[in-house]
Amino acid sequence: MKRERYPSPDHRLRHSIKIARDVPKPSILKLRRYSFKLNGKPVVVQAPPAYNLLETLRNVAGLTGTKNGCSEGECGACTVLMNGRAVHSCLTIMEQVRGADVVTIEGLASDPDSQALLRHFAEEGAVQCGYCTPGVVMASKALLDRNPRPSLEETKDALRGNLCRCTGYSKIVKAVMEGGA
Amino acid sequence: MSLTMADVEVDSPETLKDALQMLNKTRYKVIAGGTDVLIRMRASPVTDERLLNIYSLDELRYIRSVGDRIRIGALTCIADISSSPEVRRFGLPLAQAGDEFGSMQLANKATIGGNLANASPSGDCIPPLYSLDAKLTLASVRGEREVPVKDFFKGYKQLDLRPNELLKEISFRKMTKEEHGLYLRHTLRFGEAISVVGVSMCLRSGASPKRFVAARIALGAVAPTVVRATRSEKIVTQGPLDEARIRAASQAVTESISPITDVRGTEEYRREMAVNLTYRGLREILAKKEGGR
Repeated sequence: MKRERYPSPDHRLRHSIKIARDVPKPSILKLRRYSFKLNGKPVVVQAPPAYNLLETLRNVAGLTGTKNGCSEGECGACTVLMNGRAVHSCLTIMEQVRGADVVTIEGLASDPDSQALLRHFAEEGAVQCGYCTPGVVMASKALLDRNPRPSLEETKDALRGNLCRCTGYSKIVKAVMEGGA
Repeated sequence: MSLTMADVEVDSPETLKDALQMLNKTRYKVIAGGTDVLIRMRASPVTDERLLNIYSLDELRYIRSVGDRIRIGALTCIADISSSPEVRRFGLPLAQAGDEFGSMQLANKATIGGNLANASPSGDCIPPLYSLDAKLTLASVRGEREVPVKDFFKGYKQLDLRPNELLKEISFRKMTKEEHGLYLRHTLRFGEAISVVGVSMCLRSGASPKRFVAARIALGAVAPTVVRATRSEKIVTQGPLDEARIRAASQAVTESISPITDVRGTEEYRREMAVNLTYRGLREILAKKEGGR
């Protein structure tokens, strides 16, 4: 019944590819092919070897849900799951992604197991400007996957690497503590 | 010559053997988790450096309990170290450094080997390894050699590591029931922040109350390398650890350190915090002994 709230991933993908066309493309000379799993599907992308996963997701794959905040692993906006663990996509180069299983915020939209988490964020109003939200949701997803009912301390601990300048965190923490189901 | 990160060359060996051979032929900057290297490179990407990405060498990811030693592969991530029951039981200061290392995202990616080889005086894994008297195994095509952690760091950002060598393993003798250890750090905020001062200690308890017969106390971020507070160690082991002795030993750390003023704190602030953290650490260890644990 809540399905209308979340546009389908395909719609989102088409939309974001349009945006990505305006972004300068990386140097063609040093492109390499990288095979990995992206949001459950095997993909092959071309990117320079030291290009980071964040830029590849946004500029090559056209998945602009993952945000670039600080580019140096402080803010957590670029958090994605790599092999089930929350990592900074800005500090992960493509050579480290080969063969990995990567999940981005786009992957949660179509994942039945993540619907409760997304719904709790919406219902608690845990989003203001929304820029940190994809990273916060991915860090929360990593937490809930191994601990479906985290305590206040556990939640704060898992989200200590995600900065939010709008919400004051309390609604985010509340949404996460409602759990993954 | 590369102008942007998109131009940087990267090679990714599949085995340690391949990595050592490549390192023997070509000059590389080694990248493990990348949480320090990439930030530095992005700040000045105009470089001749080629990256040797060893992140995929899973053979260097392990925590093993072998005889009386704990052996940790250099690519073991900080999150795995802090969640390892063996490290917590036999090398508590290192587990505690893992707890406070930074965000989950960093701890999932950053490696213990990278934290050492980056050679920052504020690297959080380093003081615990000094207090545990750890040994490092360095590998090259010619074979392996072992160096005590305190000899590995020769000066600010200077390592006893040849260009063709890789840090392969970190090992330390298991702490016994008579030994009490901890790691405390002072940061400007909890979570993600670089240490202003870090103190790690490991004391061996003696038979009589308040007595400790051996002590290793190491401080981070207050000198060009992590340093042992040798004078304080001596004071701790010379008599019962009463309030006066704790105060004297804490004050004595200032003889071993040479802090600088930077964005995270002034020299004076660091000196005072080093004394305070040592005081707190000694009090906590005494409480552990008296609490029978």
